[in-house]
Amino acid sequence: MRPDGILRLAFGAVVAATLAFALLPSVVVVITAFGEKSLLMFPPDGLSTKWFVRAWTYEDFRSGIRNGLLVTAWASGIALVVGTLAAFALERFRFRGRDLLEALLLSPLVIPHFTFGVGFLILASAAGMSRTYSVVVLCHVILVLPFVMRSVYVSLKNVDPMLERAAASLGARPLQVFLRVDLPLLAPGLAGGWLFAAILSFNEFTATLFVTGQRTQTLPVAMYTYVREYADPTMAALSTMLIAATAFALAIANRFLGLDRILSIQAGH
Amino acid sequence: MEAHSLSIERVAKSFGGTKAVAEVSLKVAKGEFVTLLGPSGCGKTTLLNLIAGFLEPDAGEILIDGKSITRLAPHERNIGVVFQNYALFPHMTVAENVAFGLKMRKVPAREIGARVEEALETVRLGFAGQRRPRELSGGQQQRVALARALVIRPELILLDEPFSAIDKNLRAEMQVELKRIQRAVGITTIFVTHDQSEALSLSDRIAVMARGEVQQVSVPAELYRRPANHFVASFIGEVNRLDCEVAREGDELVLRAGDVSLRLPPTRAQATSDKGVLYVRPEALVARDPGDPEANLGTATVEAHVYQGTHVDIVAKAANGWLLRVRHPGYEALERWPAGATIGVQARLAEAYLFSE
Amino acid sequence: MTGQAGRRPAYFPWFVAPAAIAAVVLAAAMAALLQYAFRQHVPGSLQVGGFTLDNFGRMSSWVYLRVFADSLLLSACTAGFSLVLGYPLALALVRTRSAALKSAILIATIIPLFTGDIVRTYSWLIVLGKNGFVNGSLKWLGLIETPFELLYTMTGVTLALVQYSLPVMVIILSAAISHINPDYEKAAASLGAGPLAVLWKVTLPLSMPGILSGTVTIFAWTLSAFATPQLVGGGKVNMVSNLVYQLGFSNFDFPFAATLSLVSLALIFAILSLLGLATRRLEQAGFR
Repeated sequence: MRPDGILRLAFGAVVAATLAFALLPSVVVVITAFGEKSLLMFPPDGLSTKWFVRAWTYEDFRSGIRNGLLVTAWASGIALVVGTLAAFALERFRFRGRDLLEALLLSPLVIPHFTFGVGFLILASAAGMSRTYSVVVLCHVILVLPFVMRSVYVSLKNVDPMLERAAASLGARPLQVFLRVDLPLLAPGLAGGWLFAAILSFNEFTATLFVTGQRTQTLPVAMYTYVREYADPTMAALSTMLIAATAFALAIANRFLGLDRILSIQAGH
Repeated sequence: MEAHSLSIERVAKSFGGTKAVAEVSLKVAKGEFVTLLGPSGCGKTTLLNLIAGFLEPDAGEILIDGKSITRLAPHERNIGVVFQNYALFPHMTVAENVAFGLKMRKVPAREIGARVEEALETVRLGFAGQRRPRELSGGQQQRVALARALVIRPELILLDEPFSAIDKNLRAEMQVELKRIQRAVGITTIFVTHDQSEALSLSDRIAVMARGEVQQVSVPAELYRRPANHFVASFIGEVNRLDCEVAREGDELVLRAGDVSLRLPPTRAQATSDKGVLYVRPEALVARDPGDPEANLGTATVEAHVYQGTHVDIVAKAANGWLLRVRHPGYEALERWPAGATIGVQARLAEAYLFSE
Repeated sequence: MTGQAGRRPAYFPWFVAPAAIAAVVLAAAMAALLQYAFRQHVPGSLQVGGFTLDNFGRMSSWVYLRVFADSLLLSACTAGFSLVLGYPLALALVRTRSAALKSAILIATIIPLFTGDIVRTYSWLIVLGKNGFVNGSLKWLGLIETPFELLYTMTGVTLALVQYSLPVMVIILSAAISHINPDYEKAAASLGAGPLAVLWKVTLPLSMPGILSGTVTIFAWTLSAFATPQLVGGGKVNMVSNLVYQLGFSNFDFPFAATLSLVSLALIFAILSLLGLATRRLEQAGFR
């Protein structure tokens, strides 16, 4: 074989091996979820879907999902409105304190989620609001805001500024220009950004662990509690379902706002 | 005295340290078609944006029908704007685009429908109401933009190089259309372009701009035949620039270059020094046989021909170093005076103009 | 209108106010953290005592410094390994003409980013456990008799962290590689460089900004890791984050937890600032 061919083969092997490494845990989890025995083992001994049933009916998980959906719905909704308005203003206007405001709003991308969690916990108890839903929602809003803002920035690049001038020349007041021209054109990107934010909020673990309690815990936190007590494939089943749901939601979000565009961001812990 | 439709009074605008518009004044009468003409960077687009309200002037006032609009925001001025890239709202149909300005003015719905239809008919796009902008060609989109700006019955309409993105062949058609509509509606129009032939064919008056200043405001023929300075003389049409020495003899000017000597009445010159540039248009030069006594520019050797269909421009080098572009009708010049031949050149000085260095 | 400092529309304060509130809350949370770092811990209760610098003094004892050292070591190893593993993937993602391979890499990269820490980390328990994938395969291959412990070890945690960081590394690297004009590689090839030489002398150097950015970003990011060391480390391998959790929820020593959190934050900011500086230097030297 030509030296070039050997090189290609070697490269291909490396890429394949790395991909396998990257995908290994997910594959293992899915297979384990179908195991029969209640011992976490790989490869599983016998096949069954009973763990899926258990995961679906386990009360802590159900309340976790309910709490999670509640928190996520509120947090992503609020973040969508707040983030869109703020990002638009930050992008279009110059004002004193603009850079500081933007830095603060985007800072959750670099602040460790555990630091954030501790700080928020302390703040919440100082305000006498420990472990309420509001605190969790507020925490998630702040965590998810950078993603909404990034999606607005990306979408704004595709809105021709001449359109705003045209609308103004035709008599549209500034607010009307925003509502009738900018928003409709931003809408698809916003939908994608909102969905990304919702997915991240629903799956967020670290900061949420710090600010939730038994009553308010979301699904990831409930899963953590479960793992520390039981070692059966129920969690594997739940993980499988979550991976599938996330993949599905991502595919939809990708239709609205290309993943490649929002991916200059790293997801936080 | 009736107020002018548009009055620009000593308006100035700077960006950073550069003067984009330096104390410009201009008065436009009702129904007039005035073009701001100049190369890129001359300030014409900045001036347009100032009139529209997208920029605030550093100094000066802008008045419409005698009322100052300088402090008004764009949406408070009743001015229609047609943009270079059309700026049609992509998420609305053609009819919705045209209706937009009427909606902003809270015109009742029934009336909107009628006026939109009328506006689209005026630009011959009555059939396109339900289409989206992206389904239309560039020329059609431009006509929608025009309809959208006119339907609100503004006091003034501004067009920012509207035809620069359109094919040359289509452009001529659209220029005629625009003129027809403008005449029919009788609306005061400010047109911005860098294309001087477009300006010459469309305008009632042209304001030639360079470096943020108005060089000359005049009807097209005046600009062409009696330019005010070097810039206007060079910018409008084609012209021969002939360097020469200038001397006064009595009440005439004597121009010398090499062994060529010309007499010019002072009315056709702005002579303030002993060096000048004589501007003569190609059609004011006549090719003659060498030795012809009418050839006041002496002889020249033919170097090249530029065939333009209706005429040939003969490029010839004169004995005194002048490079001459001589226009001759038809294609006779190609055979009668081939490259290398010697010709005599006559300049019709009644059409020439001299500016000092 | 656009970018005009002069005219700001009436709606402007309304647009900015809600976000400003969020920013203030964020700042307040960080301020609360800062404040607690200087307070005395009252053992056995959630109350805090008066102003003190004890927490900072306590941090300098080896017990705690060791946790920082471990965290830094783990982060460095993770960054190094994910760079080595991530580069071929990123190269393949950018240069391959196979749509299937592109999709495979994208899927392997994107989905994990969004599935959340718990799901991503939990699966490692099955892979590394006594009855898990690694031990199971080794047993099946006949290479070992008794299973050996990978969970709760530095090795196990590093493996999990590397896999965890791979997506981000690939994203950063592929962005850098895709900015390299392929004409450079074609020029090198036309001058006689084989594929390995092109990689070593053209692609790698030109992707240096991405390599730097990716490595430092993963380093800083891993420092803030929590779920992975928490689950896979099982209390035996502790990073700063786990210590903070323990202090807060087992000992209720929030002041000290706050101190450690703050120091981590400062550390991360310092690292990222250094990255910013280095990137600017590289840009001045001609890299994009």
